[in-house]
Amino acid sequence: MSLSRRQRLRLVRGGVYAATVVALVLILLAVDWGALGGALFKWEIVRDQFPDILTNALRNTVIFTIFGFIGGLSLGLLLAIMRLSSVKPYRWFAATYIEVLRGIPLLVTLLILGFGIPIATGWQWPNPYIQGSVPLALVAGAYIAETVRAGIEAVPRGQMEAARSLGMSYTRAMATIIIPQAFRIIVPPLTNEFVLLIKDTSLISVLGVTASTLDLARFGRNGVNDTANATPLVVAGLVYLALTIPLTQLAAWMERRSKAGRR
Amino acid sequence: MRRISRIAAPVLALGLILAACGDDNSSSTDETTAAAEETTTADTTATADTTAAEGEAEAGAVDVASLGLIADGKLTVCTDAPYPPFEFQDETTNEWTGFDMDVVREIAAGIGEGLELAVTVQPFDGIWLAPKAGTCDMVASAMTITEERQANALFTDGYFDADQSLLVRADDKDALTSLEALAGKTIAVQTGTTGETYAQENAKDATLKSFDEPAAMFLALEGKQVDAILQDLPVNAERALKDDKTALTATFPTGEQYGFAVSQDNTALADALNAGIAELKSNGKYDEIYAKYFAK
Repeated sequence: MSLSRRQRLRLVRGGVYAATVVALVLILLAVDWGALGGALFKWEIVRDQFPDILTNALRNTVIFTIFGFIGGLSLGLLLAIMRLSSVKPYRWFAATYIEVLRGIPLLVTLLILGFGIPIATGWQWPNPYIQGSVPLALVAGAYIAETVRAGIEAVPRGQMEAARSLGMSYTRAMATIIIPQAFRIIVPPLTNEFVLLIKDTSLISVLGVTASTLDLARFGRNGVNDTANATPLVVAGLVYLALTIPLTQLAAWMERRSKAGRR
Repeated sequence: MRRISRIAAPVLALGLILAACGDDNSSSTDETTAAAEETTTADTTATADTTAAEGEAEAGAVDVASLGLIADGKLTVCTDAPYPPFEFQDETTNEWTGFDMDVVREIAAGIGEGLELAVTVQPFDGIWLAPKAGTCDMVASAMTITEERQANALFTDGYFDADQSLLVRADDKDALTSLEALAGKTIAVQTGTTGETYAQENAKDATLKSFDEPAAMFLALEGKQVDAILQDLPVNAERALKDDKTALTATFPTGEQYGFAVSQDNTALADALNAGIAELKSNGKYDEIYAKYFAK
């Protein structure tokens, strides 16, 4: 037991590396790559997914996401300002809304709003895009509100005080001084929200889909039914990645840039 | 990040190895067979005795160990539930029940004494691939035998005639009695089912809206988002019986049959199930279960 702490650490680390290498080699040997390719990535099936997966499924996913994000961002901004308001009922309303909508799974919210409202009121959703995007936006709004509130609170207090002492009204100071700075802070978390929304659109299909309103995930799942092969799911996953990776990279870049700017 | 990957890599590796092993059914079952052979010989003789006693020893006893079950002493069944009256949980006992479940339980009891039923619930999408993937031994999910599905799973003989049917709101009961009457209307179908295929082929003038599960379709019908539901007759019939806001207005004989599915290399299990189905039909148990769920 004369090993020093550093030696022991090195030993453990070496062990972990060795185990990882052994595991990798075992995988490479054990996996039947031909069978794996045949089950998950059959070329004929991959080719069959195009162009519909882009012109139809991707298009719908993007529409749902954009509607959901624009609605969610506007709502989130409003709720954040209400939460920070000096008027108590505003604060209560915003806090309750956020707690309720954040605490219920999106799937349940979708079912309640998508099916429940027409059943209860007789009112019909004008089209499937609105039926799917509105619940998405309402839930996204709750999450974004918290992000925006954190951003507003992160702007140094002196900014507001300085703006007020220059004679600006509260509203004007908020709109022209505080919120623009807050946004710079929250761009990375907002991008995350956006990526989450992209993935959440895959739940909208519980409300029923017609041939023209398929989202990417539903498209992939239908493909599995049609081809009796899992390849369409893999292709759908790759298209999601093609959408989300550039966004997360963009967010990382903006984060680096904004840090450099503040130095 | 580095710490995460160091932990994640071996975990991932393990997962992939397990997945790879799952594919390799033949070799792993051989081992278990060898190991289990001794323990089950006693069981086998017992079953042989009972079958002989019943005087119907035509198929002979089934060697449970040769069935390649994924869990010892359990017949693991994949199903998309709840799908009454075929599969649902009993409200008081929480036991899986319904037509399929009762039939499978009865067959399992015939295969080996004490062979229990373990139920795995999963969505209907591609459920027939589950035995091949090693998720369960067999699928019993009110599943129609089709050529496409047969390409990737081994089906038993049909055990149920499943016709398609049309369910509408009670208000439309006199108007929407055929697929022609639904031209320009919206029909709900369940994704990946033969009902969807039937609608695609026969209701070309209607808009089809596909859903994950019957519950969503019933909600959509009630909320007037769709005008009719086209799906397997027993499910619609049960709904029309329970809910007087809906009415069954048409049935379409399709010649379809439900079958159980097993992995393609597990012919032993398929044979045992076929023998069980035949047995149930000949000894009256099938009719008993049928009468329990579908009042004639």
